[in-house]
Amino acid sequence: MTARKWFAQQGWKPFAFQEEAWAAFRAGASGLIHAPTGMGKTYAVWMGLLEQAVAALPARRGPRVQTHGRPSADLKRKLTDPLTALWVTPLRALAADTAAALERPVRDFELPWSVETRTGDTSSTIRSRQRERLPTVLVTTPESLTLLLTKPNPGELFAHLKAIVIDEWHELFSSKRGVQVELALGRLRRWRPDLRVWGLSATIGNLDDALRALAPHQSGGPEAVLVPNADQIKGAPRPVLIRGLVPKRIDVDALIPEVIERLPWAGHLGARQIPAVIDELATVSSSLVFANTRSFAEHWYRAILTHRPEWEGKIGLHHGSIDHKQRSRVEADLRDGSLRAVVCTSSLDLGVDFGPVERVLQIGSPKGVARLIQRAGRSGHRPYALSRATCVPTHAFELVEIAALRKAVDANWIEERTPPSKPMDVLLQHLGTCALGGGFDDTLLEELRGTIGYANLSEGEWQWAVDFLSSGGRSLHAYPEHHRIELIDGRYQMPNGAIARRHRMAIGTIDAAAAVNVQFLRGAALGTVEEDFIARLKPGDAFLFAGRLLELVRLHDMTAWVRKTRKPQGAVPRWMGGRLPLSSELAAAVRDRLDEAKRGVFIGEEMAAVEPVLVRQGEWSELPGRNELLVERFHSRDGWHLFVYPFESRPVHEGLAALLALRLSRRRSITFSIAANDYGFELLSPDPPPFDHDRLAEHFDRGRLADDLDEALNSGELARRQFREIARIAGLVFPGFPGAKTSARHLQASSSLFFEVFRNYDPDNLLLKQAEQEVLQRQLEGGRLVTTLDRLRDSEVLFVDLPRPSPMSFPLIVDRLRDKLSSEKLADRIRKMQVQYDAEDRTLVRNR
Amino acid sequence: MCVTLPSGAVVIEVADERLWLLPERAVFWPTRQTLLVADLHLGKPAAFRAAALPVPEATTNADLDRLSAAIERTQANRLIILGDLVHARSGQTPRTIRAVADWRERHRSLDVTLVLGNHDKRCGEPPSEWAMETVDDVRIEPPFVWRHRPDEHAAGYVIAGHIHPVAVLAGRGRDRLRLRCFAVGPRRMILPAFGSFTGGAIGAPETGDRVFVVADDQVVEAARTE
Repeated sequence: MTARKWFAQQGWKPFAFQEEAWAAFRAGASGLIHAPTGMGKTYAVWMGLLEQAVAALPARRGPRVQTHGRPSADLKRKLTDPLTALWVTPLRALAADTAAALERPVRDFELPWSVETRTGDTSSTIRSRQRERLPTVLVTTPESLTLLLTKPNPGELFAHLKAIVIDEWHELFSSKRGVQVELALGRLRRWRPDLRVWGLSATIGNLDDALRALAPHQSGGPEAVLVPNADQIKGAPRPVLIRGLVPKRIDVDALIPEVIERLPWAGHLGARQIPAVIDELATVSSSLVFANTRSFAEHWYRAILTHRPEWEGKIGLHHGSIDHKQRSRVEADLRDGSLRAVVCTSSLDLGVDFGPVERVLQIGSPKGVARLIQRAGRSGHRPYALSRATCVPTHAFELVEIAALRKAVDANWIEERTPPSKPMDVLLQHLGTCALGGGFDDTLLEELRGTIGYANLSEGEWQWAVDFLSSGGRSLHAYPEHHRIELIDGRYQMPNGAIARRHRMAIGTIDAAAAVNVQFLRGAALGTVEEDFIARLKPGDAFLFAGRLLELVRLHDMTAWVRKTRKPQGAVPRWMGGRLPLSSELAAAVRDRLDEAKRGVFIGEEMAAVEPVLVRQGEWSELPGRNELLVERFHSRDGWHLFVYPFESRPVHEGLAALLALRLSRRRSITFSIAANDYGFELLSPDPPPFDHDRLAEHFDRGRLADDLDEALNSGELARRQFREIARIAGLVFPGFPGAKTSARHLQASSSLFFEVFRNYDPDNLLLKQAEQEVLQRQLEGGRLVTTLDRLRDSEVLFVDLPRPSPMSFPLIVDRLRDKLSSEKLADRIRKMQVQYDAEDRTLVRNR
Repeated sequence: MCVTLPSGAVVIEVADERLWLLPERAVFWPTRQTLLVADLHLGKPAAFRAAALPVPEATTNADLDRLSAAIERTQANRLIILGDLVHARSGQTPRTIRAVADWRERHRSLDVTLVLGNHDKRCGEPPSEWAMETVDDVRIEPPFVWRHRPDEHAAGYVIAGHIHPVAVLAGRGRDRLRLRCFAVGPRRMILPAFGSFTGGAIGAPETGDRVFVVADDQVVEAARTE
């Protein structure tokens, strides 16, 4: 059997890119295939692998073991080949579908192969069977793959491994999960130097980087990269970048309300757009409605059913916190056409080949070009020819974003993704994994430097990490009794069973520390919500989750037991990290549209629709043109509001706001509270801010940027908040052992307590530095911050004293997520404050 | 003996007695030359380290030094610990025991009473070299009642710990702060946790409590919303 023959049997004709991939695989190359989801990437790489396996087959063809009668399933399994291929998917919900798709041709190729999944959802029966013997092909997640590396003999487990495929690599690449995958690849390459690594990815701006991260040793990466056993891989061809099928045209349009005044200036739910969306859904037989966050998806699902109760059972809800069984059901129903619409989040950006739907709607701005292209790719009657996405603006300014999006899509301005650089928390976790998986010695440093993420890991950083785990710090005196890993026979190992168990449970980089299961009193698990949310509810309170209105009965052992309720309404959970920031490409396109608007040019339906709002902004205040920076000031009962509009993105604005607040507070003792959105930021202070628009160059000077930001962030809360994730990944705080809650209780401390203690007593701790760096690089998008400062310094300031809030300022005024910066003495500040009795977070670990 | 009010402290009056609230997170009762603290949780870092959770050792010495500072600034001749002196059995390492014994040596003439807290009770009797009298549950010393848990008591005004109270302050311009505090009610007061490596409970001050927050080196009474 060959790939081409198998394709012919299915009645398919291979695409050119698939044949290209098969040829590359035959030549022994690694590579990356990029195209929107569901365009045949899976078989492009899978057939290559199968062909090669078949080529190796004839030597031992024929029945190897004679059995009487039918061999038992167990025996059959033992007769299959050992672990040969790994398939890594970021969503465990995708694992079963992927395994089914991979298994299909295996039978036709007559290979003695077994295909199984192993994820967090795998039953303990299958797990124990796999402990005996792994299948030939294992479909797994980054976390479960890392768990395999903690086995005492990981090298033997992978002794026959030929290839590893990383699915949805674009999604993993720029996250700590991606770093975790790179580290696992580093391990595997040590044992299997000729391992082929293939990535499947959507199109991103920097595919070269994504490829290099997968196969650094073959890409001629940075000079510093050292590879163990380098001589063994010299013969391998350089990795290839294969462009898959890309739609010929992508249409972006908007659902514009007839009366634009009906769109609010702020807000994100877009409730007024619900009837229009329902009308759209009614005209087609299948559609996807993308919402940017899980909360909005819940809201929209509910709202649609409230308007059209007869659609109960005909529409589905799909997001990452819903239980995987429920999600699989929705996916299956979508596939067989029994659902007319599914309201979803990025959970359906990935994988799941259900065939194109008729219509894709996007609630609110998708905030990025690549994201919109990916979502649009889900639609189309003529696949591979035309994709279309209709954006549903939820407030007036989003019309500008949509107009900008169309331009950016046409110009193919696709965002780059930046992976984290040598995160110490992930490194600490990985060292623990290596200590468990056979132990490690100094040669591990070389292996680490063979990955792109840690290519420039210094000797000092390496030593710090090893010390931190073995004795807590460089000075033994600082951390007596602390031994997470111990040097035994020249190798660092993790001999303590309790510590090892905890390590295994804590593997991963997804911040799931505060996830509470939601389950019916008798019956099905519905999914998870964050502890912060559920802790604010009392038994009897109603909340909306998984599309159902539920009543909390009791909260016990991290499970919220619920029943259905008929109460009129309930709270909607919010999940962290919900808000997507405007991408730099899209931001530039938005500024262009505003510049046109200022000159009275309104191109396209969306800009024509938003014209009255922009004209009003111009009348009440100003519209910023190219090279202009709009600054507004307004006095209200809350204090003095200073609005600045760089139109860059929320993360950059947060950084700019902290910086400006610090620099202003040096001129006069003052406390600011800060709000930021994608268009600008607000500094709110009890006294008039000492902002001087003639001193713009000084306010936005990039000299001392790092120092000033450092100072601003120390006074702020950003680094402390960022430390929460770091503390969990580094294994300082842990979710706790199931069934052993009370005995572990005296070992619980909040990450902010660790943050405090390290800052006071171990200020050189690299995890603290990482927190600051992550705030700068990831939260505030440091590089963008610098270019924005340059842009602002050269701008002309339009300064306006407002008698009432302008259309642009309004969303900032109502924003509730705020940070603070103060140069006042703490005691002086307190005298102006009052104790709040409506405690907002009762979720801190109470450790009495 | 008479000392002046140390800097950063405030004076309050409860049960017709004057008490000083000190920024060291301690209370001083001048009438009896008595210093009160609660919830030191000594050995908590060691207990964490024993479970391979890295916490610097320095917190123990920093806490003991702060306790010494409070003793010296008030010239106290008696110390009452309102429970949870230690954190866990696994934190009772030789080093922790030694550190406390050394500290005890520095204040040899000081009279120390430990009202046992829930954590103390799980750790057994304190080592003899710590030279402390222990009280099982309640010690009545009119007009006060010393105890660990802040339950009211018929015999007098309760001074307790256990809760680790923390106040959230809000100001204009949506300014917010989270600080350890003394929660002073009409029938009982709760001390802030003394230990550095301890968490806090927001919302612990109840309506009707006066709230005194510890702001760096100063105790400040916080205004309340009604």
